[in-house]
Amino acid sequence: MKSVLRERTLRGPAFAIALIVVLMSLAMLVAGTSPLDGFAALFYGALGGRTEIGETLVATSALLFPALGICLAFRAGLFNIGAEGQLLVGALFAGAVGAQIHLPGVLGIVLLLGLGMLGGGLWGAIAGWMKAQFNANEIIATLMLNFVAAALALGLVSGPLKGPLATGAETAWLDPSYWLPTLLPQTRLSIGIVLALALAVFLNWLLKDTIFGYDLRATGEAPEAARRSGINVPRMTWFTLALSGAVAGLGGAVIVTGELHRFNTQLSPGYGFTAIAVALVGDLEPLWICVAAFGFGILEAGGLAMQASAQVPKDAIHIIEGLIILVLAARRYALRDTGVNAP
Amino acid sequence: MNGVPALELRGIRKTFPGVVAVDGADLDIFPGEIHALVGENGAGKSTLAAIAFGEVAPDAGTVEVRGSVGLVHQHFELVGRLRVWENVLLGREPRRGWRIDEAAAHRRVVEIAQRNGLAIDPDAFVETLPIGVQQRVELLRELDREPSVLLLDEPTAALAPAEIASFFETIANLARRGTAVLIVTHKLQEVIDYASRVSVMRHGAIVARMETAATNVDEIARAMVGGELPVIAERAPTQPAPAVALRDVRVPDAAVPLRGVSFEVRGGEIVGIAGVEGNGQSTLADAIAGMIAHDGTIDAPPARGIIPQDRQREALVMPWSIVDNAILGRQHAPGARKRAREDAQQIVERFDVRAASLDVAVRTLSGGNQQKVVVGRALIDRPPFVLAYNPTRGIDVGAAALVQSRLMEARNAGAAVLLISFELDEILALADRVLVMYRGEIVGETAGAAIDRVAIGRMMAGAR
Repeated sequence: MKSVLRERTLRGPAFAIALIVVLMSLAMLVAGTSPLDGFAALFYGALGGRTEIGETLVATSALLFPALGICLAFRAGLFNIGAEGQLLVGALFAGAVGAQIHLPGVLGIVLLLGLGMLGGGLWGAIAGWMKAQFNANEIIATLMLNFVAAALALGLVSGPLKGPLATGAETAWLDPSYWLPTLLPQTRLSIGIVLALALAVFLNWLLKDTIFGYDLRATGEAPEAARRSGINVPRMTWFTLALSGAVAGLGGAVIVTGELHRFNTQLSPGYGFTAIAVALVGDLEPLWICVAAFGFGILEAGGLAMQASAQVPKDAIHIIEGLIILVLAARRYALRDTGVNAP
Repeated sequence: MNGVPALELRGIRKTFPGVVAVDGADLDIFPGEIHALVGENGAGKSTLAAIAFGEVAPDAGTVEVRGSVGLVHQHFELVGRLRVWENVLLGREPRRGWRIDEAAAHRRVVEIAQRNGLAIDPDAFVETLPIGVQQRVELLRELDREPSVLLLDEPTAALAPAEIASFFETIANLARRGTAVLIVTHKLQEVIDYASRVSVMRHGAIVARMETAATNVDEIARAMVGGELPVIAERAPTQPAPAVALRDVRVPDAAVPLRGVSFEVRGGEIVGIAGVEGNGQSTLADAIAGMIAHDGTIDAPPARGIIPQDRQREALVMPWSIVDNAILGRQHAPGARKRAREDAQQIVERFDVRAASLDVAVRTLSGGNQQKVVVGRALIDRPPFVLAYNPTRGIDVGAAALVQSRLMEARNAGAAVLLISFELDEILALADRVLVMYRGEIVGETAGAAIDRVAIGRMMAGAR
């Protein structure tokens, strides 16, 4: 199942980039702008100055965590569509506890990030348990848990966890001792991006050089051979989904501690879904996913500027992201078919 | 042969990415003959049959058919939950208004069955029928179209010896009434017994055409291989000591249940389990391998080399390299990953795996070389117990002889080898003792000089 969505060449990502350029050019032409002006606006909006670069990297970081989580699950043959919910629950755990309890110093930050992993991991583990125990379809389970997460967050943050001075569905501010240090002065960019890159390096090592990674990849590529080689496939299933959720949940905690400094139900404009495209364009390789996340970060951050100066609606970018998933998946199905049917 | 061929293939050529499957093949099939097409795996016979049927378009060459072509696949394409008549007429049901005319459909199926001398109950559900009868349904479906050319792909692969004889009786009847029959097979004895002519394919070309009356199995086999036949390692004297024991092993809720299987395999012997496919062999292998729960006891050494029946699904991770596959199943042993390349090198050398490097994906290897990797991995630690399930299925003669030799050498070195195979010839060539499996039970045992092909064949069909 997984190898359908993945091939170990650069052609996939290169194809995706070419596709993005072509589709966006078309969108700009339809909107009555020259693609050159449009792309200029996009890149200026994303990379034109300190603030712009900061915002691009904030988006990169927000996409990178869930994309890495998705990568782990997909490599194990599990279609985790629930990174959005896992990210939200991770953020909720961090935000809720951070707004109530005060712990000084690094310990507090580590606690909140750990709570983010716990929350996201729990959310992934629920889907994993359902699949391992009842053979529930993980696509449905993870997808539906997104709605449960959103409702849970809204319910808690509108009621018991609502900050005393909050106007919307949000918690109280975190104590500044919980805030992640700023990486780039005068921007919102925290050291969360460094954490994300380190995580990518770690996961790359985990997948390639450890027995756990070997077992995980074997389960994804050939579940029956994996089972016969002594791998406990049900355990691998729930554990991988838990780990995948924990990585996404850590991303949620980084958004809370690094940028917003409180939990807010609107904190993700669909990062967990866009991250699916990021993971696929990154060929499900953690290090390439870093590159892909930066590319999508440019789109996210530059999209607004493009809308303002080139009259291409920002939503066009989301339409294009959706198309990329479709086309990449279809193309790999096609490649796989010719590869298998030839004797 | 006189007359006009019913099927005429001229200069057929077909390439798939990276492979020339068929390379300039000519073939004529005349009305009234049973023509066998033989060749090693990958010789191109299935592709040629698919081209004759019109399923695959050739890159070059012409296909001329006088009449129509019917094809019976090796793996039946039946709907188990439908009745016999529904399967036979699927897609061509006689209609009355917007409904199926069941009475007319019945009459038609009974009529075709009688005309061809096939006994069948048109109202039986296909899934309840034995394999041999299911094949009759498949055959009836093609005969309803009254093809002038009938292509049969490995038609006897799933049949018991008795069913094979009655199957060929039907086919001979068809041929007598003027149908041209082409049988794609690898069972050379059946070619000699039932076909009139044989064409041998090698590397995509027809390399020999023979009248079966004027040739023999060995000559056909040599033509297939393109030289002398490889020999298998010799059997050496051993001192058998108990190694593996099954006592009253039952798996009541499997697809084919095991109904109380007991036997021993001793070190230094090969025990062959003979039987027609679908008589509980898979359930038995899964129980021994610890893949399914069972009642009764199985005593076997924990160190074991297992050669599963489906190498691509159960034994290999196809996109992975030989190196990564070399330790699958032993990856949790200490230091396994460090040893992987060394192990892979050893497997490639001992088993003569033809690969560009140790880092190529096993998907790119031929079936024979893939199987050598699987067998090599199972034997690399010289396990005291080896379970081999159809270890040479679908691989060429040279690779098969090598695999069989290595199994014999493992036996000679004292390993207990349990060989489950659907190829009676393989069992007769390798086994010290033969057990016959029928409907989830061991129904007979013979050993040494008492091993007799005819008696085993009868037991495979259920006679005790």
